[in-house]
Amino acid sequence: MTGIESWSPGRLARVVSMLFVAAIFLLPIAGFVAMAFRSNDGVEAGSGGFLGLGDIAWSNVRYSWSQVNGFGPEGGLFTRWLTNSLVVAAGGAILAVVAALPAGYAMARLRFRARRAVLLITLVTMVMPNTVLVIPLFLEVNAVGAVGELWPVALIMGFFPFGVYLSYIHYLTTMPKELVEAARLDGLGEVSVFWWIGLRISKQVVVLVAFFAFVANWTNFLLPLALLSSNQRNQTVSIGLQQLIGASPLFNPTVAAGLDVKLYMPQLALATFISMLPLLAVFLGAQRFLIRGETVGAVKG
Amino acid sequence: MTTATVDKRSTRVPVPKTQRSRATASRSSETRGAWILLSPYVVLLLIGGIVPVGYAIKTALEKPPTPLDPSTGFGGVASFRTVFTDYRFVDTFQNVLATLVIWLPIMMVGIVGLALLIHASPGRFGSAMRFVYYIPGALAGIANFVLWVYLLNPGQSPIEGFWHAIGVDTIKQAVAAPGQLPFILTAMMFFQGVGSWIVVVNGGLNGISEDIFEAAALDGANAWQLAWHVKLPIIRPWVGYAALMNLAYGFQLFLEPQLLDQVASNALPDQWTPTQLGYAFAFSNYNFPAAAAMSLILLVITLGIGLLIVFRSGLFGKEDN
Repeated sequence: MTGIESWSPGRLARVVSMLFVAAIFLLPIAGFVAMAFRSNDGVEAGSGGFLGLGDIAWSNVRYSWSQVNGFGPEGGLFTRWLTNSLVVAAGGAILAVVAALPAGYAMARLRFRARRAVLLITLVTMVMPNTVLVIPLFLEVNAVGAVGELWPVALIMGFFPFGVYLSYIHYLTTMPKELVEAARLDGLGEVSVFWWIGLRISKQVVVLVAFFAFVANWTNFLLPLALLSSNQRNQTVSIGLQQLIGASPLFNPTVAAGLDVKLYMPQLALATFISMLPLLAVFLGAQRFLIRGETVGAVKG
Repeated sequence: MTTATVDKRSTRVPVPKTQRSRATASRSSETRGAWILLSPYVVLLLIGGIVPVGYAIKTALEKPPTPLDPSTGFGGVASFRTVFTDYRFVDTFQNVLATLVIWLPIMMVGIVGLALLIHASPGRFGSAMRFVYYIPGALAGIANFVLWVYLLNPGQSPIEGFWHAIGVDTIKQAVAAPGQLPFILTAMMFFQGVGSWIVVVNGGLNGISEDIFEAAALDGANAWQLAWHVKLPIIRPWVGYAALMNLAYGFQLFLEPQLLDQVASNALPDQWTPTQLGYAFAFSNYNFPAAAAMSLILLVITLGIGLLIVFRSGLFGKEDN
């Protein structure tokens, strides 16, 4: 595949079609991000040229932010939602890591009768869409009278079977049986083997589980919608964005007329853009590990 | 080989028998250790999975309180009858099927086609493209939705010309034209989902040994034949896995139709998917038994697909052996 042959019609067609798909994927995102930096006057006038890129200015962002964060009875609701999202997403991710590591280790390296059953339950719950349980979860939380509070959301998010599967594969591939046997012969109990040896080699899987759990929790929509809708101050940012859309004069002029803030497309795009920044941050933080753990991350090695 | 005489004293002698007896002796401590290590996960599994399902079964078998008869109590399968005979019940499943019929083939062709193209492009270009295709996947859920509002609203859409060309002037027209919704959902879900599945299928392709490609090249296979006759059969488990996972995903559709209705001035049916219907039972009608029955129905469907994935995709359960 060198020289003239490398630019055969087949190769040209492949490269062109791949670039074409890339453009279809990237241009809307570029235009959307640009939208967060534009003014509604500019959007309505159709100025700014290609994707509105000529229209972007920092002053627009400052105005849009005052509108986004001015939403709510006393304002500041959006910041509050971001904080709530951080609390439940990080809390759920920490719980997921704490539960997944020892469970994955036990399933990978210990023999006990219910092992296959636990593994099967983990696999099945992992591949099922988590929305099917939201209404039963709502009924459960309702029964204990905790609807509208953040802690049940974080607790439920801590149940993260994909994380258990990741750590199961991790210990299967990185911790040889012989190592466990040797540690036992040295007189370590099963829990101590995990604590002193299993945890030592767990940095990679801790990052992976925490990353995937955080992203899943941050973007979760139906669970916080069902559990937190009744309490406006305790909503997460994904539910909050829905409220902002519902308060936009673009889609609901009657509701919007009664508000102090005006949420047009630039404001909605800015709110969405800001809500994505924590995901960008955890992605950059975990990037090194994601690439190294690609074989594990992609379902199975 | 006598068992009775082999006891404590002989444990230092490295014969197979002693190892086995030590193994059986440590068996119970191994079981105990396993359950201690599993306990946080088991607690969360109970809270987040088992207890809610059990409670949903109990709730589904109760009768809902009404203004005339505020008592609850055992109601048998009446809640299931309420769900099955609801005028929206069949429609919601038809809507999901109509969406799946359009979406699933496009999704699968897109995933496999792009994964094969990336695999045929070694080096920087291939991995750069894989990263680019993955970017929309980061815009999950509501973020993807707002992005699509930006695209679908002719007022400020970058594809404004396209909307005007087909005679669409408002987002309501774009979304609520008859038969349009499955196509719009297809576009939204393809955009959001294809990238991460490309990574998964690409992982399968990267696992194929180079020897196979060399052998095929020696036989004179060109790139096209290589993809069709060699790569595709090998990655079939991943393709099957992707197809089943996306099939199950179809049954959980909620956010997109729910919010599209909101931005289209309620021009869409309020309960377009089964999950929306279950949500309405719970939060509009406050009929918890019917809501529980609806989620159990969806649970059985997705559980069936889940079991199919675990046992038939060929991707799981082999690690042990």
